[in-house]
Amino acid sequence: MTRIALQSLRKEYAGQVAIPDLNLAIGDGEFFTLLGPSGCGKTTLLRMIAGFNSIEAGTISFDGTVINDRPPAQRNIGMVFQNYALFPQMSAAKNVGFGLQTRKISKAESERRVEQALASVRMAHLKDRLPGQMSGGQQQRVALARALVIEPALLLMDEPLSNLDAKLRVEMRDTIRQAQREAGITTVYVTHDQEEAMAVSDRIAVMNLGVVQQVGTPPQIYRRPANRFVAEFIGKTNLLERDLLRHDGKAVIELGSGYTLDVSGLLGPAASGRVQVSVRPEAVKAAASGLAAEVLDETFLGSHSQVRARLQSGEIVEFLEFSRRSALWKGGETVFLEIDPEQLTFFDAQSGVSIMQEPQD
Amino acid sequence: MPRFNFWAVVMILTWVLLFVLLFIPVGSVLVSSLFDQEGQLTGANYLQFLSEPRFHRAFLNTLVVGFGGLFGALLLGSIMAFCVSRFVIRGGKFVSLLAILALVSPPFIGAYSWIELFGAGGVVRGFLRDWGINMPPIYGVGGILIVFSLKFYPYVYLMVSGALGNVNRSLEEAAEGLGLTPWQRTMQISFPMVFPALTAGGLLALIHAIADFGTPRLLGRGYNVLATEAFTLYAAEVGSNMSMATTISVILILLSMVFVMLQRYMSRRNVYHGNMINKPIRIQLRGWRNVLAHAAVYLIGLCGAMPVIISVIYSFRKTNGPVFQDGFALQSYERILFNLGDVVRNSLTFSVAAVALIVVVGTVVGVLVARRTTFNTSLLDGAFMVPYVMPGIVIGIAFIAAFNTGPIVLTGTAAIIILSIFIRRLPYTVRTTASSLRQISPSMEEAAVSLGYSPFQAFLRITVPLIVPGIIAGGMLSFVTAINELSSSLVLYVGSTMTMPVRIYLLILDGDFGVAAALSTVLLLLSGCAVYLAFRFMGRNEQALL
Repeated sequence: MTRIALQSLRKEYAGQVAIPDLNLAIGDGEFFTLLGPSGCGKTTLLRMIAGFNSIEAGTISFDGTVINDRPPAQRNIGMVFQNYALFPQMSAAKNVGFGLQTRKISKAESERRVEQALASVRMAHLKDRLPGQMSGGQQQRVALARALVIEPALLLMDEPLSNLDAKLRVEMRDTIRQAQREAGITTVYVTHDQEEAMAVSDRIAVMNLGVVQQVGTPPQIYRRPANRFVAEFIGKTNLLERDLLRHDGKAVIELGSGYTLDVSGLLGPAASGRVQVSVRPEAVKAAASGLAAEVLDETFLGSHSQVRARLQSGEIVEFLEFSRRSALWKGGETVFLEIDPEQLTFFDAQSGVSIMQEPQD
Repeated sequence: MPRFNFWAVVMILTWVLLFVLLFIPVGSVLVSSLFDQEGQLTGANYLQFLSEPRFHRAFLNTLVVGFGGLFGALLLGSIMAFCVSRFVIRGGKFVSLLAILALVSPPFIGAYSWIELFGAGGVVRGFLRDWGINMPPIYGVGGILIVFSLKFYPYVYLMVSGALGNVNRSLEEAAEGLGLTPWQRTMQISFPMVFPALTAGGLLALIHAIADFGTPRLLGRGYNVLATEAFTLYAAEVGSNMSMATTISVILILLSMVFVMLQRYMSRRNVYHGNMINKPIRIQLRGWRNVLAHAAVYLIGLCGAMPVIISVIYSFRKTNGPVFQDGFALQSYERILFNLGDVVRNSLTFSVAAVALIVVVGTVVGVLVARRTTFNTSLLDGAFMVPYVMPGIVIGIAFIAAFNTGPIVLTGTAAIIILSIFIRRLPYTVRTTASSLRQISPSMEEAAVSLGYSPFQAFLRITVPLIVPGIIAGGMLSFVTAINELSSSLVLYVGSTMTMPVRIYLLILDGDFGVAAALSTVLLLLSGCAVYLAFRFMGRNEQALL
């Protein structure tokens, strides 16, 4: 049960600034994810919290106590690594019990806790296996049990699922989420997979180039990205650059000839000028009339298909098609697109920063 | 921080060690080669080397035996590797064992056994003469090349069979699908993949061939190479010429350096890592092809192990003084027991002492090199290349040049022999320790730290248990090299510090073959035990013997 505060944190590698100035507050029992492309500083930050990386400036505090100078062994953290980092010479049970050996816990109690931890990740039946005899998914389960069994104040996970195959990844992330909820441990999770981040997190911090771009719940980040980077990194989107027009006090945008949308409700009264509109594929649907476009191709994906179409302006728009036509579009067909203005996001064309009005709760 | 201090001290001590045991001796050799007998600075030694036909011949002969050994080893080694890894050969494990026997047998035993068979009074030659066939004795360059080929083929065999085993079968199948004939497939797909292993193994044979002293000494009969010339100039009772001996040593170092660099370059190019899924399958041959493949493999294997077989048999023959009689007896072993106990004891104590030093120092320095990566450690890593380059005879001469006079006098002590073995084998342990440490992911120790252990405890409880089997195995293999070492001990020994290989060498020169064979058998038994233990600790891995 720990609150974490990162204040004015700075990290340098041999004179190169990796993280210039970072502030974050993570709540008690929260599942908090650091999400970003590789090299964005998310793993660096996680290792600073763990104590494996030095801190050049700023403070890290657990429950209000600055722990900058506390060695990792005394931070009471549980850590799960990308490559599992199980000790190859020890069985699953020995691995899990290893952290209990340095703590003053009776042998019986320790055995009980190891069994319980292995059971919670459904690995009790393989407790005598060596890591070399386990699959990747099984190894990561044991690694999770090993991190949780010491009842850490904080659970840190560094891309724990990236070495697993797609199906196992989905299964494992449920296991992780469930184990974290049961234990109620504050968790910091690092990943570059936005879908995974949205599936497990209470809140996400999207990072790029050592800077936090946005902090929010998964829906907030998906629906109201703070800037163009977040919009493009989280999910798919079509970016269209247009002029924001003012007519009779209304904000209007013309997406194609004769197809204009009233977006006054979304933007503040001052918004004007050149903007970029982020159009999510699910905000677009084919209709009887609307924005004219020519189909390029359609990819059938089972529950829906993915269609690419070219607007008259030459821009290419991708959207999802849920109709149950028996024959797919081959390309060349003319379609009309209807766009839901509620699902649009507007960015200043120059700075890329969102100009959306703050939602009124 | 005390931890920082510890590694700083290790770093300084390592440099001191290298300085005393390596740079001073090598420097002394270099300096000594630049002075004449009267102590005047001169380049005359090098001019003499360039002008005297005797040295030209030795230089050329060295190249001849080097490249001859290379080609012989390549021929035998690649035939054997190809057959064993591509065809079903009955007793394949046994064949590998024969190769290991050839590799760990004392270097000059080969020469001696072939003399027994094909020398002036050789058994086979005598037998053939009775049938009216006169064949020339094995002495001279031809004999040296035969012995080198049979002695060094395991280097090629082990490297190439490793590489062939890793060639992904799908590649050849893909080539087959593209319509290439079997010959084209072999030449265009498989051959380029094993080429680096071939050259690396061949160069290893060459490096050992030009450093070898015992074989040309016993078989050459006037065919001198640089190693024997250096020894003659050093050891001659009349007209010993230390400065000329050191000059030849310098040239030998330079020559060997060229090929060691080449060898390392080729080994590094050996980067075609096949996946483990599609290993090549062995084909079951039929008819005469099957017979031919088996004949080739067993002929090479048995010829290579012939010296071992001969010396084991001869060690049990009845003798009268140095002369063999009909029948079998344990006389030779009795003579070892009663007269040569101190030699066996010397060999054992020196080797054990050297190996203990190698393991302790090598492990600590290996950790330093692997875990404290700074400019200084990479320099250190580079400095550890030097002993690889030094032929044993040169190390011996260098140690005499450095420790005969001056602040540290060691000549005639056991320490000088132990240290000479130590410095030659130390780089191996440093490198294997460092590379096995680099293979252990640092997150393993971090995981232990995150669970509440101090970094030192984490190293001790997680990393050390993982590298200990490798260290023990490496120590065992170092023991094999240590106990078989001849050329540097031959320069450094005195009566009281004589070792088994030196004694065997002298016994052969004296014509006392029975005791030599018995002593060789004892040596072989000790080496065999060490190899067995090494394989027990790290799994059967013939490649580690290279």
